[in-house]
Amino acid sequence: MVASMKLIDLVENHAEKIAGQWSKIVVKNPFTPFYHDKPAEKLIPQGVRFYKNFRKMFQEPKPVEASDGYFTRYAEKRYKEGVPLQEAIYALILMRRQIWLYAEFQATFSTAVEKQQAIESVTRTMLMFDYAMYFITKKYRELMKLEWFEAPNT
Amino acid sequence: MSGSLKLVNLIETHAEPIASQWARDVRKNPRTPSYHNIPEDKLVPVGVKFYDNFKQMFFTDKPADTSQQYFARYAEEQHQRNIPLNEALYALIMMRRHIWLYAEFQTIFISAVEQKQAVDSLVRTILMFDYAIFFISQRYQELIRKSIEEKLGVVNVLRMESPPGAKQGQYKTAIMVALVLGAFGLTYYYHAILGQNIIFTHLLYIPIVLAGIWWQKKGILVAVGLGGYVLLSHLLFLKGMPLSDDVIRAAMFLVIGTVVAFLSEGITRAEELYKPAN
Repeated sequence: MVASMKLIDLVENHAEKIAGQWSKIVVKNPFTPFYHDKPAEKLIPQGVRFYKNFRKMFQEPKPVEASDGYFTRYAEKRYKEGVPLQEAIYALILMRRQIWLYAEFQATFSTAVEKQQAIESVTRTMLMFDYAMYFITKKYRELMKLEWFEAPNT
Repeated sequence: MSGSLKLVNLIETHAEPIASQWARDVRKNPRTPSYHNIPEDKLVPVGVKFYDNFKQMFFTDKPADTSQQYFARYAEEQHQRNIPLNEALYALIMMRRHIWLYAEFQTIFISAVEQKQAVDSLVRTILMFDYAIFFISQRYQELIRKSIEEKLGVVNVLRMESPPGAKQGQYKTAIMVALVLGAFGLTYYYHAILGQNIIFTHLLYIPIVLAGIWWQKKGILVAVGLGGYVLLSHLLFLKGMPLSDDVIRAAMFLVIGTVVAFLSEGITRAEELYKPAN
């Protein structure tokens, strides 16, 4: 958990900077064309909100429930903004990557012991994102009322 | 790269047992209920196919391009089985987890150098899955749109919604004018010339239904107009006959026109929900 704490502290203390870097990436990534004409001042708060929530979701003893609330709301907001599902998901993936790409993350886990801690951090972050993908796609499905068109056994 | 090679070799040589573990897990996971009734022997090949393709996707210079084809096919297969997207994605996530959960994975990265290799392997696997999630979601959206369009096929023919960009608006107006004039003529012929009040009014439902489909709530005006005309014609030409039958007919025009208008509006709304946002 010490390693995870390091990661959480890093994310929390540098939320604005990481969100700033994310906003620059998401406006030019070929997988997120919806975001390409969105101004940075609209995107950065989205990233900051995610990075500020990171500690809560990361430390929650029941990560499923913690992720459900945040990511369901994330899905509702993106859906309302008209973001296509795959782009809403990919923008979130880019947020996660930005944590790891953030220069200081490299320095956070340098020694051999810290490498093991890095694996734990990556694994825990991934667990959180696995739930995120599930809850976001589930919410989008509900919002798109896709069950109207599905066979009754699904 | 040798660390990654270890991982890939492990997966390749143990594809069957890892796929079997995954199949058992996915059949009872609460987030994948659509898989619960699929027999294990049908699921294992899905897992094996994924683990067999792992090497190719893992070592390619262009992971996005290589994985796109595989994951688009995965999406098609799952969609064909009526698996909702969230469950199809979660099943795939479980495939990835089962690599890491597989007992031998724990033993191939022990030393300090191997720990570094483990991080590299994890990062590369995650990259591959990031693309997977994007491509599967994208393909699902395309498949869902296609299947909804197919389901609405007959309705769309009636709605004259295709081909897009054609002059449907003008055609609709012309057809409606002809139908309404025909209805007026028919009513006049039966009421004024034959002096009868027989069931010719059934034919009037054609413009009423079409108007509801084409113009939704505005289309109700056609039902009101035709109902009013039938009543007026009755009062003018069928003075000796009871008005009650035609009052019921006019009321039915209004009911049917309103129901069709609301249904058509519902379909339009549903279409807007799944239309691509950009």
